[in-house]
Amino acid sequence: MSRLGASLLAWLDNRTGFRAIKKHLLDEPLPAGTGWWFTLGSVLLFGLGVQVVTGIGLALFYAPTPDHAWDSVRYITTQVRGGHVLRGLHHWGASVVVVAAVLHLIRVVFFGSYRKPRELNWIVGMLLLQVILAFGLTGYLLPWDQRAYWATVVTINISQLTPGLGEAIASVLRGGAEIGALTLTRWYAAHVLVLPQILLVLVIVHLYLMRRHGISGPVRPRTGASQPFFPYQAARDLTMAIAVGILLAVLAWKGAPALEPPADPTSSDYIPRPDWYFLGLFQLLKYFPGRWEVVGALVVPGIVITWLMLLPWLDRGKTRDWRGRRVVLGLFMAGLAGVVTLTVLGARDKPAQPAGSWTIFEIAGASLATSSERCVKCHAPDRVASPIVAGRVGQSQTWIAAHVNDPEVIAPGIRPAPPSNERETAAIIAALGRLRSGAPPAVDDATRRIYVTLTQHCFECHEIDGIGGSEGPSLSRIGAEQDAGLIQRRIVDPVDVQFDAEMPAFGDKLSIEEIRAVAVWLAGRK
Amino acid sequence: MSDEFQQRRSALAKMVTAGVGLITAGLAGLVGLVAVPRATAAMRRWRRAASLFDLPANQPMAAVIAERGADGWYETRREQVVFIDREGEGYRAFSATCTHLGCRVRWDSTKTQYLCPCHGGAYDREGRVVAGPPPRGLDRLPVRVNKETSAIEVEL
Repeated sequence: MSRLGASLLAWLDNRTGFRAIKKHLLDEPLPAGTGWWFTLGSVLLFGLGVQVVTGIGLALFYAPTPDHAWDSVRYITTQVRGGHVLRGLHHWGASVVVVAAVLHLIRVVFFGSYRKPRELNWIVGMLLLQVILAFGLTGYLLPWDQRAYWATVVTINISQLTPGLGEAIASVLRGGAEIGALTLTRWYAAHVLVLPQILLVLVIVHLYLMRRHGISGPVRPRTGASQPFFPYQAARDLTMAIAVGILLAVLAWKGAPALEPPADPTSSDYIPRPDWYFLGLFQLLKYFPGRWEVVGALVVPGIVITWLMLLPWLDRGKTRDWRGRRVVLGLFMAGLAGVVTLTVLGARDKPAQPAGSWTIFEIAGASLATSSERCVKCHAPDRVASPIVAGRVGQSQTWIAAHVNDPEVIAPGIRPAPPSNERETAAIIAALGRLRSGAPPAVDDATRRIYVTLTQHCFECHEIDGIGGSEGPSLSRIGAEQDAGLIQRRIVDPVDVQFDAEMPAFGDKLSIEEIRAVAVWLAGRK
Repeated sequence: MSDEFQQRRSALAKMVTAGVGLITAGLAGLVGLVAVPRATAAMRRWRRAASLFDLPANQPMAAVIAERGADGWYETRREQVVFIDREGEGYRAFSATCTHLGCRVRWDSTKTQYLCPCHGGAYDREGRVVAGPPPRGLDRLPVRVNKETSAIEVEL
C-alpha cells in the first residue's frame, strides 16, 4: 500500500507540481520575533471560514421571500437537526469576524506594518473590512423580522442622503418602489453570491501581497534566523483558532438570539436597534440635526475611512517605533476611543418599551384567546387551524384585527362570527399582537378571572393605568378612597350607595363571588 | 518582414484587448440593466383612513391604511400608518414616517408629542420638530371627510 501510495503521489506531483506549491505555501520564511500578535489575520480567516460553512448550511433551508423568510428561519431554529447551533454559529461568527478584523487592523497600525512597500495591501485590507460590514448589513435583513426590516429602512434612507446620486443608489438597494420582496432577493443575492466572490478575490490578493513583501515582523527588527511558517507560526495560529472556536461554540450552543416578530411596518411597540457593531454609527446619527444629517450619516464615516486608507502616506517616518509616531498613533487612539464611546452610548440608549410588560387588558385577552369558545374552537391540535402558540403568531397587527373581528374573512363557511363584545375583541387583538414576540406572564387563575371580568364589564367606562373608557371615574387608585365592602355594594347596585348614580347595576350579571373578587382587588389599588 | 510581423501582432493585440473589453462591458451593462429598477411613479389617490366615530376626543389616532398590491412577483397586503387628528372644526393627517430616517413615529399621550423610537426625533401635536435630528416636520397629507360614508379620507 505504502509503495503504491508513494508512486500515486509521485504521479500526481508530476502532473500537477503540487509539492512545489505546498513547499512555497508552508515554508514562508518569517522574520525573527514574529509572535502571537501576528495570529490575528489567521483568526479572521478562520472566522470567515466558519461563516462560509455555516452560511451554506443555512442556505439549504432558507427561503428569500417576505412570506417565507421568517418561517424558514424559525424552521431552521426549531426543526432542523442542530439548526439552532448552526444559526448561533453564523450569528456569533459574524461578531467574531468583526472583532478579529478590527483587532488585526489595530495590530497593523501599532506595528506600522502598512509602511512601504505594503501600502497596497493595507488598502486591500480596508476594502475587506468594508466587505465584512456589508456582509453584516445584508445578512441581517434576511430573517425578515422587525430588526431586519427597520435596520434596512434606515440603511436605505442613509444611502439616499448621498449628494446627487442618493435616489439612484436607494432605488438600486430597494429594487422596487418600497422595501419588500424585490429588496429581499437582491440583498440575498448580494449576501450569498456577490459579496463572497469579492471577499474571495480580496482575500487571495491580500495573502498574495503578504507573501510578495513578507511579514513585517516586530517593530524593532531582531537578529536571529528566520523561521518557516510551518509548523512554528502555524501552531500559534491553530492555538488561537481553537481558543476562538471554543468561545464561539459556547456562544452558539445557546443559539442565536430569539427571532423577533415578523417584519411589520405598522407595529407601534417595536424599538429598532442595530447589531452592536453598528451602534456607534447609530449613536452618531443623533448628533446631526436637520440638514446636517448627511454629516453624521456619510461625511464623518467617510472621513474616517479615507484617513485610514491614506495612513501609509500620512505616516512615513524612518522608524516603525511607537515613539517616532506619536501624532498618528494619538489620533488613531482618539478615534478608537470615540468609536468605543459612541458604541457604549448607543448600547445604553434603550428607551422604555411603550408596553414593556403585559397590561391587565392584554393578559385578559390572552386568557380569552386560549380558553374561550372563540379561538380554541378552530385553533387547537386536530382542528382546522393550528393552535395559538406564543412566538409563532406570524401575521401583522391589522391582519389579526380583521380575522378576530370576522373569522369568516379568512375561513369562509367554517364558523359563524362569534357573539361580539367590543372590549373582548379588542383585548384578544391586543394579546395576539403581544403573543407574536413572547408568552404572557404567569398569573394565577383567580387574578386572571378578575382581569377578564374587568375587561368584559368595567373598561367600557372606567380606566385603570391608562386603559379603558373615560365615561366613569378612574379606578387606578380607587382603594385610596373606598374599601372593598363599599366597592362591592356599588357594583351590585350603585343606587344603593349613591342615589343619582348613572352606573348600571351588575348584581344580576355577575355572581357575588366574581363581584367580591373584583371589589377586593380594586380596594388594593391605592 | 519582422517589422511587418510586429505591426500585425500589435494590431491584433489591440483588437483582442478591445474584444475582451467589449465582452466585459456588455456583461456589466447587462447586469446594470437588470439591477437598476424601472422607475415607478407612486399613484396618489384618496383612501379611507378611519370612521369619524372612531376618532378619540382628545388625541390623535393612528390609522392603518391597508390594500392589496403587487410586491414584485406576488400580491400582498400593503400597510401604511397615518395619524388623524382634529384641527379646529376640521381634521389633519400626518404620515407616521419619521422625516429623519424613516422609522415609525408613535403618539405619546403623556408627553403629548409624536416620538420616533430610533434616533430620538420628537414632534409636537402640530407636527413641528421639537427635538432630535429630523430635518423637517411630519409630512402633512391632504385630508377630507366623505359625508356619505362618514369616513375620513386621506390622499396617499
